[in-house]
This record gives sequence, C-alpha cells and structure tokens, in this order.
Amino acid sequence: MREFVIRRLLYAIPTLIGISIITFAIARLSPGDPIRLFTFGVQNFTQDDYNRLVHAYGLDKPLPLQYVDWVTKALQGNFGDSFIYHREAFTMLTERLGATLELAIAALILQILIGVTLGVLAALRRGSWVDNVIRVLGVAGHAVPAFWLGQILIIVFAINLRWLPSQGLLGVGKSQTDVLDYARHLLLPAFVLALTGIAIYSRILRTETLDVLSQDFIRTAHAKGLRERTVVYGHALRNALIPVVTALGGILATLVGGALVIEQVFSWPGVGQFTFQAAIAKDYPIVQAGVMFTSTLLVLSYLLRDLTYAFVDPRIKVK
Amino acid sequence: MKQHRTSRILFALAAGALLVATACSPGPAASSPTPAASEKPQQGGRIIEATITDIATMQPVLSNDTSSARVINLIYDALLIQDPQNGEPKPRMATFTQSSDGLTYTFELNAKANWSDGKQVIGEDVVTAIKAVGKSKKTVRKSNYQDVQGFKDYSDGKANTIPGVKVDSANPKKVAVTMTKVSCPAILDLNTIQPLPTQVFGKYVTDASKDEIDTAPENAAPTVFSGPFKFAEWRKGDQIIMNKNETYWQGVPNVDQYVYKVVANQTAIANGLKTGEITFGTIQAKDLADMQTVDSVKIQKYPSLGYTFIGWNTASPSATALADKRVRQALAYGIDMDAVIKAVVFGEATKNVSHHVQVQWAYPAGANLEPYKFDKAKAQQLLRDAGWTPGSDGILQNSAGKKFNLTISTNSGNQERETLAQVAAEQYKGLGINAKAAPEAFQGLVTKLTTGDQSLEATIIGWSLGGDVDPYSIWHSSNIPDPAKGVTGFGFTFFKDGAMDKAIEEGRNPSNGDCSTAARKKQYETFNKILNENQPYNFGYENNVLAVSQKSLQQFAPAPYATIYNVHEWWIKP
Repeated sequence: MREFVIRRLLYAIPTLIGISIITFAIARLSPGDPIRLFTFGVQNFTQDDYNRLVHAYGLDKPLPLQYVDWVTKALQGNFGDSFIYHREAFTMLTERLGATLELAIAALILQILIGVTLGVLAALRRGSWVDNVIRVLGVAGHAVPAFWLGQILIIVFAINLRWLPSQGLLGVGKSQTDVLDYARHLLLPAFVLALTGIAIYSRILRTETLDVLSQDFIRTAHAKGLRERTVVYGHALRNALIPVVTALGGILATLVGGALVIEQVFSWPGVGQFTFQAAIAKDYPIVQAGVMFTSTLLVLSYLLRDLTYAFVDPRIKVK
Repeated sequence: MKQHRTSRILFALAAGALLVATACSPGPAASSPTPAASEKPQQGGRIIEATITDIATMQPVLSNDTSSARVINLIYDALLIQDPQNGEPKPRMATFTQSSDGLTYTFELNAKANWSDGKQVIGEDVVTAIKAVGKSKKTVRKSNYQDVQGFKDYSDGKANTIPGVKVDSANPKKVAVTMTKVSCPAILDLNTIQPLPTQVFGKYVTDASKDEIDTAPENAAPTVFSGPFKFAEWRKGDQIIMNKNETYWQGVPNVDQYVYKVVANQTAIANGLKTGEITFGTIQAKDLADMQTVDSVKIQKYPSLGYTFIGWNTASPSATALADKRVRQALAYGIDMDAVIKAVVFGEATKNVSHHVQVQWAYPAGANLEPYKFDKAKAQQLLRDAGWTPGSDGILQNSAGKKFNLTISTNSGNQERETLAQVAAEQYKGLGINAKAAPEAFQGLVTKLTTGDQSLEATIIGWSLGGDVDPYSIWHSSNIPDPAKGVTGFGFTFFKDGAMDKAIEEGRNPSNGDCSTAARKKQYETFNKILNENQPYNFGYENNVLAVSQKSLQQFAPAPYATIYNVHEWWIKP
C-alpha cells in the first residue's frame, strides 16, 4: 500500500509539471497585456510608466525565464504578488479556500442525502410513476445548465418569495459566527452545485440496489424471514453504497471545479470566483496559483478515490 | 479620465467593462439636498452600497479602480475636493494658494483636521504621501507628480528628499509644493493621493526603504483614518464594513455604519434597490422603467462625466476611406444618433459632438460647434465628393474599384456597446457602406488600441473624464502609438493636427503662465473646434447617470463629480 501511494505521488509530478506549463502558456499567450489592461485610460500615463511597470512585474524577461522564475518561487510557496491586489497570490487563495470547501462539502452532503434516497426509492418502486419521475428529474439535473438554474432559483426564492438571500456569504450586519444566516446563504448555491451529483448518485444507487437485490444473499436474507426493512437497509443498501463511496474522491474535485460557475452566479467569494475574475483581469499570479491549486487537489482526489476503493472493497488489491 | 476612475480591469471583470461609467445628458441638474434638509437628522442606521467587484486595496498610492477609490475616499479625506457640479478644485482638508510665478502651491491644512488616533493631520503627512508614490514600484500615479521639483530623482532612488515639497518650519499645518514648470492640471494632480498618516506609513518611506509601501499590511487593513468612516473589517470577496469616525473633523457622521457589499452584477444591484437591501446605487437605463414602479425609492438623473464614441482609425490600411475628413463627416451626418440613443439606452443619453462634455467647465458651449444633425443626403454628397460612389451591388467604391468595407469593433459582453455597434453598422449600410459589428474580448481590444494595432478600423469604447480637463493623454500627438517603435498611447485614431497640439499644450503648460479658467477655456474651444470639424471620433453620446436611493435616505445629493462628498451629513429617516 505504501509503495502504491509513493508511486502514485511520483506519477503526479510529471502531471503537475505539464499542467504548470500549459497554465503558464495559456495565460501568457491569450490576447491582451495585463499592464495595458489595468492602465487603460489612466491620466498622464506615459511610456516610461508602462516600461517601469512591466519591469516591476517581471514581464520584460523572456517567457522561458519567467516560467523558471515562477516555478522556482512557487516550489518555495511563493506564487508571486497579484497584479491587482499587490498581495501574495497563494495566501489570497487560502483566504477564499474556506468558502469553497464549505460550499463543496454542503453540496456533497446534499448529493448523498438526496441522491441516495432517490436512487433507493427508484429501485424499490421500479417501473412505478415514482421511478419515472426520479428518472426524469435525473436527466433534467444532468441537462440543466447550472448558471441558468441558479438565476431562476434566485428569481423565485430570493426576489419573488424573499425566502432566501441571493448573494454572498453573510447578510449585512451579521456576525461571522451567525451559522443560521450562513446556512441560508449556502442553501441555494449548494443545491445547484449538488444537482449533477444528485442525478449521478440516484442513477448509480438505482442500478446498484437493483443489482444487489437480485443476488443470492438477499434471497437468503428473505428466506431467513428477515423484515423487508432489515433486508433493504441492513444488507442491500450497504453493498450498493460501495460505488458511492469510491466516487467520493472524484466528486470532491468535480465540486471544487464546478464551484467556479456557481460562485460567480451567487457571488460566493471562493477560489473559483476569484480565479475566474483573475483570469479576466489577466492577473497571472492568481490564475496560475488557482489552477495549480485545483489541479493538485484533483490529483490528490483521484489518489484518495483509488485508496478508498481498495479500502471499502477488499476484493480489490492495490498494486 | 481621472486616475481613480480608471479601473478598467475590474470593470471588465464584472460584466462588460464600463470604461465610461456612464455619460451625460442635460437632464435635471443634480438634485440639491432633499426637502428634509430642515428636519433634524436622526442618528444611527447603516448605509449599504453595492459593488460588482471587490476592492483591491485601501492604499491610495496603489488604488486604480473605482471600488477601491470609494472605500479610500470614505476613510481618508483629500486636501481638496472637486466641486460636485462643475469639477473646480475647492478646499476640503486644506486651503491652497498659488505663488505669483505659478510654480508653487501652498496648502494649509484645516486646524480641525485630525487623524482618528487623535493626532493632527499635518504637512508631513502630505510629504509621506508624495514620498510613498516615489517609493512605490507598482503605482500608476508617478506621472501626476513628475513636475514636482526633485520628485524624479527621489523616485529613481538618486535622492533621499524631495526639495520641491517643504513643510513650513513655523507652521506644521502648512506645506508648499514647487513645480519645475507651470502646469495647469497640477493642482488636481497633486490632489490624487490623500495625506497618509506618517505615524503608520512613515516607516515605509525612510531613507532606507525600498518599495515596502507596495506590500504594507496596512494597505489591506488600515488603522488610522481622516475620513468620515473607519475601516473595521474586510470580508474578502463579500463585504467591507466601516464604522463612523467619532472624531471626524467635519462632524461625526449621522449613520453608524457604511457597508460596501459585493454582488454578482448590475441586475443584483437593481434587485437589491427594489427590495431595500441596498441603500443607494446606479442602475442601467434598461432597468429604469421597472424601477419607476417601485414606491420605496427615489430616482435622480444627472449627466455623467464621460462619453461613448466610435473612434475612426484615420491611418487604417484596410479602411483607407477613413483618412478623408469628408468621409468621417459623412459618418457623422449619416447616423441618426437620437434614434440610436433611443434604441441603445432607451433615450437616457444626449448626443455629443466634442471631447469635453457639458458638465465640464471646458465644454465649448459658445464655440458654435457643428451639431451634425442627421442628414442622409448631405452624408451621401460628402461621400461622393470624397470619391465613393455606389457600385452595381449598391456598395460604395472608389475610382480604383475598392469597396468601402468597415468593421466596427467593441468589447464583447457590454450589451450597450454591442447594440450600438450593430445599430451603427445598420445605419451605415443605408449609406452604401459594407459595415459590420465585431465584438471582441476587452483585454485584447484594449491592447490592440493602445499599441496601435492597424487591424482595427473603427472602435466603440468610452472615456470617463474626471480630474482636470486636460486632454493631453488622449489627443496630443505624442500619445499616438507607434507599433514599430513599441510606443503605446491612447491616440489610437492616429489623428494629429499642429494647431490642436498647440492648444492642448497652451491649456496645460501656458507659455504666459496663465492658468485661469478663461484662458484655458479659450484654448479648449480651439481644440474642440478642430476635433468637431475633423471628426476623428464620432463623439457618440453622454449617458445619464440614474442614481437610485431609498426614500428613507436623506441629504443624498449625487452629482457628476461626486457622490459621497457629504456622506457625514446623510441620515436615515425611520
């Protein structure tokens, strides 16, 4: 097992190097010059000012040299100062990490609670209208774009009904420790973020539950005279949950990635929104730190998934 | 085009970059304080203003976006204030006098002006601010101080003092700034950076300091204030909370708290105003009709300080027709701007035919500018005179058989400008021009413009005009970009005219030293007449600012040059 982990971590190195090169190249080669962008229209701005700023941000060096500079410093934990905020990029990301993780975890909990419930329900009521409704909802959950649904939910629940806030982390005048207010703000974005996962989980659970229910040990359980509830929840569900658990690692990474759109719609101040806005502003240090951070998380999530898989299903041996 | 209004980046972030915050029209003049002026102000309550982008910094030296500027103006008072209606410099924290040779400005800080820690605001704090600009490597403001005696050497690290900035040894509240040459915009340029508390920032401008001011922790968490509000908390990406400054030198604000709240977009602002979650803000013209049905809000209209225009590349190798003044005039006569304004901004704008807009004192009201009333026949005649006649397909062509094709670029995502580009293209098609709209990403467009990329033929963009009326950065020929030499600038029409350069120079650094409004106004009449005749831009229109506030908010009187200038007097009627 230890060897497996070490080997996987070693494999991650070339992956991350590749990602760093691609991120760096895309950021630099996309149209637009960050200095010209943020100085457009500045009164009295001169060519000397431009040259000075280009030098101050190290953008006058050849690209390969800029890349080496960046990687060297990044390995020491310094991703460079943001062009806009004038603070160290990774530190600024970590300030927003909490919001993203909370959103992702809330979405994960919603996915499991709702997805598993719907999946089991659909399996137990196979062929009934309940099964059909859940299937339609599942397809819709997959198909509906998150940004659109987010806007619709804002209009319905925040503007028309005024039940929930539409934007941000906390209401004005609320303390950082006001959990209830925080939960009210979290509900809509977490739900929209969870939707795809709910669709996936309900489908997996339906298939797995049906599969397990047709197996010999379930028949044996029935034959022993166990109650239906015990058979379903005590035996069938536990086995059907294996793929759900193993999917967790990958889903977490997907959630953090998916948060990019959701955070934008709900003005949720997380890593996704921050990186997205930095990309538009061509704030290279933040974009590079954001992408490297998310990529590392993704790589670690897949490793976690493989390990969890081996752990919950002893039939799988890691090599 | 004032510095603190130039956050192009953050504007772009939000939802399609507003270079021009809005533009203007001769709508009702900015309202005077509300009828409630005679009522006794109530104490308490909270003002909530929304922003689409979070602030970047609370350090005036580094600030380059409207969000940061808003918070900075709430926590640090400036030496001077521009008159909210006409932009003329007026005393705020200091009075000022100018020496007879026009070179030295002496500022005397108000005896009551103090910092929130109880210390007096003194001349040394002005020195600290100017030194901070000199030390900073990341500021975009150095040029505003370039004519201060000794500033350049200090900025280049060749000197430890700035001889041109001297505190009066007998009166620490007095500070004199001497320039190397008479510069009419200097008084407002010197007002760019607010005095900084030396007890906080002094340690970043010592002789040994390098550029530590750029990364000072107090930039993100200031501790001492001179403005009506004190910074309390920055919930990154969500809100900035400021509490009233109980020691504010102009009088303690009536409201307890000012919250600057980050929201997703303009729609969220309009919604927040409707529900009362936001105390005041500006809305887009498309939301006006809806907002007028809301009983709880008050809407004030006033002309904005800027304009949206179509810039013609007069040196375009592909659209060679644009080099001819008659063609550019035809493009002015040939577009029904009043109809365009109705279609694009629901009538909430006024046609513009000069660089200076109506709310600026430099506006050439008496210069008899050509209004370019819509006249299709005249436009067609001018095009014929310039050698462009319809071919068999109806498209104009010249004697060499070259067709008149025209691509109008603008920044994608800005709905107003995209619509304007389409409407303009349609109207120009009516003249026989094969015109098309081409939206592209703001980042790329701005770079192309400032580097003089010749692939651009016509571009719709806008200017926000604050600060001094000096048009040097945009219109002086020294600011025309030169791709071959790597020279960048805002003169992307490539239009130049010797007489216009002279008028700009005389309005900026007059040879006779006369910086009076009357003398400068004369120069700017000449300048605007040349532009009006030569039409390097179709000067487009000036939007109305549509300021919406809750009816409960009293003494809120926004104007073209300022919104929060009297925030300490605002109060909330229960």
